[in-house]
Amino acid sequence: MLNLFTAPQLIADLTFGEQYLDRGWFRIVVTVCLVFFVLWNIRRAKSGQQLYIRRIAGLNAIDEAIGRATEMGRPVLMVPGLSDNVDAIAVQALNICAHATRIAAKFANPILLCCYSPAVYTVAQEMIRDVYQQEGVIDRYDQDSVRFVSDRQFAFAAGVSGMILREQTAATFFLGQFYAESLIFAESANSIGAIQVASSTEVTQTPFFIAACDYVLIGDEFYAASAYLSREPVLVGSLTGQDWGKLLLIGCVVFGSFVSSAEMFSMVTNEKSKGIVQHVLVPDPSKPAEPPKEPGGKPKPAMMEGTRKATLGDAFFQQLLKPQKPEIKVVREMDPNFDPKKEEGGGE
Amino acid sequence: MNLIAQATSSFWSAPNGSSQLWMMITIGLLAGVGLFVGLIAVPATMRRYIVGAVTFLAGLYWVLFFIWPIPIDRKPGELPNGPVEGVGFWLKDANGTVSSFGTILSAFMIGMGVYSLLRVHLTKITRKRPDWGYSVVLLASIVIMAFFGYGDWMQTIGPKGSDLQFQKNWTFMQYGRDLLFEGLLQQMDAAMFSVIAFYILSAAYRAFRIRSIESTILLAAALIVVVSKMGAVTFMVDVPIAKAAETTPFLANFQIGEISKWISDTVQTSSIQGVKFGVGLGALAMGLRMWLSLEKTGGRS
Repeated sequence: MLNLFTAPQLIADLTFGEQYLDRGWFRIVVTVCLVFFVLWNIRRAKSGQQLYIRRIAGLNAIDEAIGRATEMGRPVLMVPGLSDNVDAIAVQALNICAHATRIAAKFANPILLCCYSPAVYTVAQEMIRDVYQQEGVIDRYDQDSVRFVSDRQFAFAAGVSGMILREQTAATFFLGQFYAESLIFAESANSIGAIQVASSTEVTQTPFFIAACDYVLIGDEFYAASAYLSREPVLVGSLTGQDWGKLLLIGCVVFGSFVSSAEMFSMVTNEKSKGIVQHVLVPDPSKPAEPPKEPGGKPKPAMMEGTRKATLGDAFFQQLLKPQKPEIKVVREMDPNFDPKKEEGGGE
Repeated sequence: MNLIAQATSSFWSAPNGSSQLWMMITIGLLAGVGLFVGLIAVPATMRRYIVGAVTFLAGLYWVLFFIWPIPIDRKPGELPNGPVEGVGFWLKDANGTVSSFGTILSAFMIGMGVYSLLRVHLTKITRKRPDWGYSVVLLASIVIMAFFGYGDWMQTIGPKGSDLQFQKNWTFMQYGRDLLFEGLLQQMDAAMFSVIAFYILSAAYRAFRIRSIESTILLAAALIVVVSKMGAVTFMVDVPIAKAAETTPFLANFQIGEISKWISDTVQTSSIQGVKFGVGLGALAMGLRMWLSLEKTGGRS
C-alpha cells in the first residue's frame, strides 16, 4: 500500500482506482472487519451459544402499550418512518410494527399503519396480512388498516395527526426515518394521552421524541429491536457483531486521541498538499526579502526549508481517515469506434 | 475477462432514437415480464430463492462499486488499461442505469399508493361515513392537481416550453398549476411547518421540568445555550468577565458564549457521533442480513 511519503511520480505510474491511493484502503479494511464480526457472531449464535442482550425499556413497553389500547378499546397507530424506498430502516421499522401487530391481532385490537411511501405501503400490506394469517385470525384483518397517506412531508404530517385525533388512538409507534414532522406526530398523540414508543435514525429528531414521547429507542437500539423481540440466533448474533464493531471503533477513538495528542507535541519537516509531499518552508532571515511587485504591496520574504509545529492535520489518524486524492494523469488507448459527435443518452 | 476489459459505455447506453436503444428497451421489458411471470409460476418455496438470488446480485453490484478501484482521469472514448480497469469502467458506466432501477420500481408503486387512497376514500363516500365530505375534497384535489400538473408539464416540454418561464406567455394550465401548487399546496405545507414552533414550546415545557438529576442537567445546559443566543444577556455577563480575563486569562472560559460553545462542541457533538456510530453499524448489519437473505423475520413469528 502507498504511504504518506510515496513519491508523486510513483503514484502517477499506477493505474488502479482513486480510493486506494494514499490511505483510502483503511475504510475497506474497517468495513471488512465489521462484516466479519457480524457474520462470525451469527455463526456463533447459530451454533447454540447464548449471547447476552441488555434490557431495552422502549421495547418492553410495546406489550404494555397495546394492552392498554385493548383495555380502552381504541386503535393502535403505527408509522414506519418517511423512507422513500424500502431500505434497511423501513424494513426494520416494519419488523417492529409486525411484532406490535401480532400482539394486537391476538387481542383483537384494531390497528392503523400509515405509510409515506407507496413502496413501503406495498410491503407493509403484505407483512401485516401475513401476521394475521400466521395468528389464524385472517378474518380480523382489515385491508384499510394499512394506508398510504401522502408522499409529501407535511401533507403526511397533517393526515396522520388528523387520524390520531379523530380515531383517539391509545398507543402510537413512530419508528424509522423522521424529520421535522416528528414533533407534530408526537405532540398530537400526547394531546390525547396516547402512550408513545418512538425511534428515529435521524439524530436531530431524537431529542424531539425524547421530549414528547413516553419511550424512545436511541440510535442502534432501533436496529436491536428485532433481535430483542424475536431472539432469533441470526439477529442476536448480528447484534453481538455490532457490539464488537463498537468496541473496535471505541478502541480506534481512544487510541487515535492519545496518538494524535502526542503527535501534536512534535515538529514536522514535511507537509502534504493534493497528495504531494512538500517540504515545510519558513522565512529565511539570512536572505533579503523580495520587493513588492505592486506599489503599496508587501515584500515577499525569501523562504528556506525548515520545521513547524505539528497540527491535527499532520497526525497519522487524521490522514488515515481523510486520505487525499492526488490529481493523476493516466494514458489510455482510444476506442477506434468512438464517435464524439454521436449523442448518447438512451440508457443513461 | 478480456471481454470486460474491452467493454465500452455503449453496453449501458445507446444513442437516442437508435434501433440499438429500442432493442435494449425490448430486451429489458421482456426480461422483466419473464421474471414476473416466472415468480408467479414457480412454487412458493422456490420463489424465496429467486428473490434471494436477485437481491444478492443487486447488492453485489453496490459492494463491487464500493470496493473495486474506480477508474481515474477517464475521458470519453478511452479503452481500459487491462481487466481490472475494464471492470472499473463497466461498474462506473452501469451506475446510472442501476440507480434508475429503484426509481422505476417506485414509479410502479405509485399506482398502488393511489389505489389505496381511492379505495379508502371511495368506501368512505359510498357508505356516507362521518366527514365523508373531506374525502370528496381529497379525490377532487387529486384529479384537478393531476390535470393541471400534467397539462403544464406537457406544454413545458413542448416546442414553446422555453417561453413559459415568462408569466406573460402563460396559458390556463400554468395559471391553474401556479394557483394550486404555489398558491395552495406550498402555503399549506408552510402552515403545517410553522405549527412545529408551538409544539416545540409545549414539548420543551414538559421536558425541562426539574424531576430528576438528569432533567436538571438538561435544563441547565439548555438554559445556557438559549441564553448564549441573547445579545443583551451575553453583553451584560460576558463583557465584565472579558475585562477580568485581561488580568486572569483563565476567567475567559467562564463567558456564557464559551460555555455554550463547549457544551455544543464537546458534549453534544461527541454524543451525536456516538449515536451515529451505533446507527451506522446497525444499518451495516441490517444491510448485510438483507443482502445475504439472512433477514427472514418480517411477518414470521
